[in-house]
Amino acid sequence: MRARAGIIAALVVLLSGVGIWLTHRGPVPLPVIARASGHCVIQTSVMRRTHMMLLRAVREEIVRHDASDARFRLTRCVACHAQRTAGGRAIPVNAPGQFCASCHAYVGVHIDCFSCHAAVPSGSAGLLRGPDGGAGNVKGRAVRAAFRIARVLHGRFAATRVGDVP
Amino acid sequence: MSDKQKGDTKDEDLWADGESGHAPDAMRRRILAMAGSAIALTLVPGVTLFARDLQGKRTTKGADKGPVRYGLLIDARHCQTDCDACVHACQTYNGLSGKDGPDHAQWIRKVTITDPKTRFTRSFPVMCQHCADAACVAVCPTGASFKRPDGIVLVDKHRCIGCRYCLMACPYKARSFVGHTLTDQKPWAPRGKGTAEGCTMCVERVMKGRVPACVEACQKTGHKAMVFGNLHDPKSAIAQKLADVATTTIRADLGMGPSVHYRGI
Repeated sequence: MRARAGIIAALVVLLSGVGIWLTHRGPVPLPVIARASGHCVIQTSVMRRTHMMLLRAVREEIVRHDASDARFRLTRCVACHAQRTAGGRAIPVNAPGQFCASCHAYVGVHIDCFSCHAAVPSGSAGLLRGPDGGAGNVKGRAVRAAFRIARVLHGRFAATRVGDVP
Repeated sequence: MSDKQKGDTKDEDLWADGESGHAPDAMRRRILAMAGSAIALTLVPGVTLFARDLQGKRTTKGADKGPVRYGLLIDARHCQTDCDACVHACQTYNGLSGKDGPDHAQWIRKVTITDPKTRFTRSFPVMCQHCADAACVAVCPTGASFKRPDGIVLVDKHRCIGCRYCLMACPYKARSFVGHTLTDQKPWAPRGKGTAEGCTMCVERVMKGRVPACVEACQKTGHKAMVFGNLHDPKSAIAQKLADVATTTIRADLGMGPSVHYRGI
């Protein structure tokens, strides 16, 4: 009885070892972040840490409070961050290895933005321009709200006082 | 535990607290109110954005009092029975499939009515009527269905849980439900599986000073049966027309105050 238990234990250990050896592929490769065309609407370090909060706050303002001139709308992110094939066709930002997908795959975060939102820009630049033909009024409510949140969150993450953040 | 000790006490007695009468109820309310303010305080400043809606009104009563209320005037006398340019324009602009059936959303449809006695026939488009006191907004359990200050009724799909109450509540059958995964949505019209949707009065276009896609298409056909504008601006073409000619709204008896007016039905 004792011998049989020993054999089973040895088998389990052996098989686990084989399993680990077979499935081990080393550390997860770092994401390759595709370069965007142009400059980001906010400091990159702030955007990296707080983009989810910004999008969440701004979507509220855009959808419910008529802040149609927001700089932080998802369409604008997509417009700059969607890569293009050699033929000039836009690649969805949520396609494997693309701007959104590469990082979110790395950190294991599922994003469902693009189950509703377009992941490729439309038209010439894909920019939804305001009535003035520009990129929108930077003094809009959404922008102010987003900056406020960005400052607070950035201050938190960077462990500095809110007032210190430019 | 205390319930057990009281044995066969009546329900009312369980809620009373001896001499203090209804005090526990008031106390409960105070505690709930304090809990509410505590939540508001503990959140970071930016998140008061969300708190505003929690405290906000859920009814649309009085929402049609602002300086802007977008609306439509549809002249059924000029609308042709065999024309569905507005329907196609809506589908093309908003990325709808254009197919029939419960699996496919429709935001605008052509309706032909005939009086069986007189054979009087009219054809006209019916879409979300953007009611002043919208049933879809009243029944929505999550606040996803809402009315903008400019009178446009929308679905906030971030909040929609796909319960379909609004589909049931709307007397105009203006809401649709997306039951399957969609691809190739238009950037200006995000739509996805598990959410209710309806005519947005092409809010993106309207914000840019353009008219809705259906109205533009109707103008192009030459029938010119649709007029779009601000109902609350006395100088607008639509307000002047409404002041000048007899119009009606569909199911005006329901008292929901539609923004879409019809002439000749």
